Amino acid sequence: MIEFENVRAGYGGGDVLQGVTLTVERAAITCVVGPNGAGKSTLLRVLSGLLRPSAGTILLDGKPVHALSPAEVLAAGVAQVPQQGGLFGNLTVRDNMLLGGYLIRSERGRLKKRLDELAEAFPVITTRAHDKAADLSGGQRRIVEFARALVTNPSVVLLDEPTLGLDPKTCEVVFESTQTMNELGVTVLMVEQNVRFGLKLAHHGVVMERGQVLFAAPADELLARPDMAALFFGAAPETSHPEGGL
Amino acid sequence: MTLLVQTVILGLLVGGVYALMSSGFSLVFGVMRIINLAHGAMIVLAAFLSWWVWDRTGIDPLLVGVIITPVMYVVGRVLYRLVIARVHRIDHELAMVASFGVAIAAGGVMALIWGTEVRSATPSYFNTSFQLGSVVIPQAQLYAFAGALAILGALYGLLRGTFLGRAIRACSENRDSAALVGIEVERTMAQMFAIGAATTGFGGAALSVIYQFVPDSHYVWIGRILCVVILGGLGSLLGAALGAAILGLGEALTSSYVDTRWATAVPYILIIVILLVRPQGLLGGKLRADGARA
Repeated sequence: MIEFENVRAGYGGGDVLQGVTLTVERAAITCVVGPNGAGKSTLLRVLSGLLRPSAGTILLDGKPVHALSPAEVLAAGVAQVPQQGGLFGNLTVRDNMLLGGYLIRSERGRLKKRLDELAEAFPVITTRAHDKAADLSGGQRRIVEFARALVTNPSVVLLDEPTLGLDPKTCEVVFESTQTMNELGVTVLMVEQNVRFGLKLAHHGVVMERGQVLFAAPADELLARPDMAALFFGAAPETSHPEGGL
Repeated sequence: MTLLVQTVILGLLVGGVYALMSSGFSLVFGVMRIINLAHGAMIVLAAFLSWWVWDRTGIDPLLVGVIITPVMYVVGRVLYRLVIARVHRIDHELAMVASFGVAIAAGGVMALIWGTEVRSATPSYFNTSFQLGSVVIPQAQLYAFAGALAILGALYGLLRGTFLGRAIRACSENRDSAALVGIEVERTMAQMFAIGAATTGFGGAALSVIYQFVPDSHYVWIGRILCVVILGGLGSLLGAALGAAILGLGEALTSSYVDTRWATAVPYILIIVILLVRPQGLLGGKLRADGARA
């Protein structure tokens, strides 16, 4: 369980997060939605250690993680897939995957075993191993990012706008990959601009605005609320996401 | 024809040493975007250390260059921790100014320790050569070239085949993403800066054998290094190697066919020409510090 307690954080020009209090359930998919500037990505950055909160606490299974470095947070079991450009484009897919295991680099056997396991689940890791990451398609890049985040066997994965810039068909791959991760027991906390897509995928939904949590409820409940639809879902058709019907 | 072949060989031999001298500078710029103007002073410091150990003990100065490589690594770590990291946090352009201050101070300290007389290490092979037909290959230049090539190869292998190298390349692309895979970015930066400084160990030793030098020689050497990296493209190791070869050839050809005095102007003429014709350098924008295409 991840508990945010009155967390405030920003980038120097005032706090973006204005006292966030939120509980993220274990082994579930939680999707954070809200307008631009609501603080969704900042929420992930404070959890992953990229941004130090100015106040408040973050507990992972009861242990404080808000003062840890990104490497320490990763070692504690929280991996983040950043919004875009998370892969190192000038490095090969294999090098990117190896870097996913940077924390366990001295355990060669464990790292190799884990990479073999992930190669079975995500074949692109093998088929494009020696290609530069920059040469992959958008969908392939996302899959490699997901796979890379799983190298250290994290218990929590943070996804920042996983469908950003992807075509509908690739969104479907992201949808399935996220479900697969969750079925493996991984807690997923994701931020998503595509509100319908995110809430259809998630068990829990969180609506943020101006650095605060407005609502937190089961995702299907949020999806069904008429005021939510009016505020955040716009007039997007139900079929905007192919096959998944999102 | 013999003169041309002779000149090209000499130019390429010297170019190899220039490539090593420039590699650390290029690496630091490629990853941290810092123009480290203290790099020339570190080369001259390594030259003084090589000359001094050779003068006192008779140990081959090029061998001393290998021995002082870890010493220069430590110098790099200390310089990074005390100066570069601190000012880099405030403004990374300030780091360039600070590094220039370090270079001036280092020149003064070297003058206090070793004086301002012209120095040069002259081991037994200093004036001897191999004869290949009618072409003469000076041993000192050949050994320096071979050593430089070996160190450049090791640097390339480190960047390509080790976790540290991958981490350095990752940091050069995206520091946040690097941090998210568990790389300690600040520590990796410090290691990378120190590796850049370590390359001056053998580079300085080669300088002490091939050239004469004084404490203020660092101004000349930072000029040459800037020429090499501007010519090849800032931040590109392959570009630095190409720039070094062109500068080495340019100086050698000018010495042979124009006038030795004009050879010292070659780096500056090349800088002006390349900035006018192709400001990003020959391989700039296409290759990064790791040698990969952008």
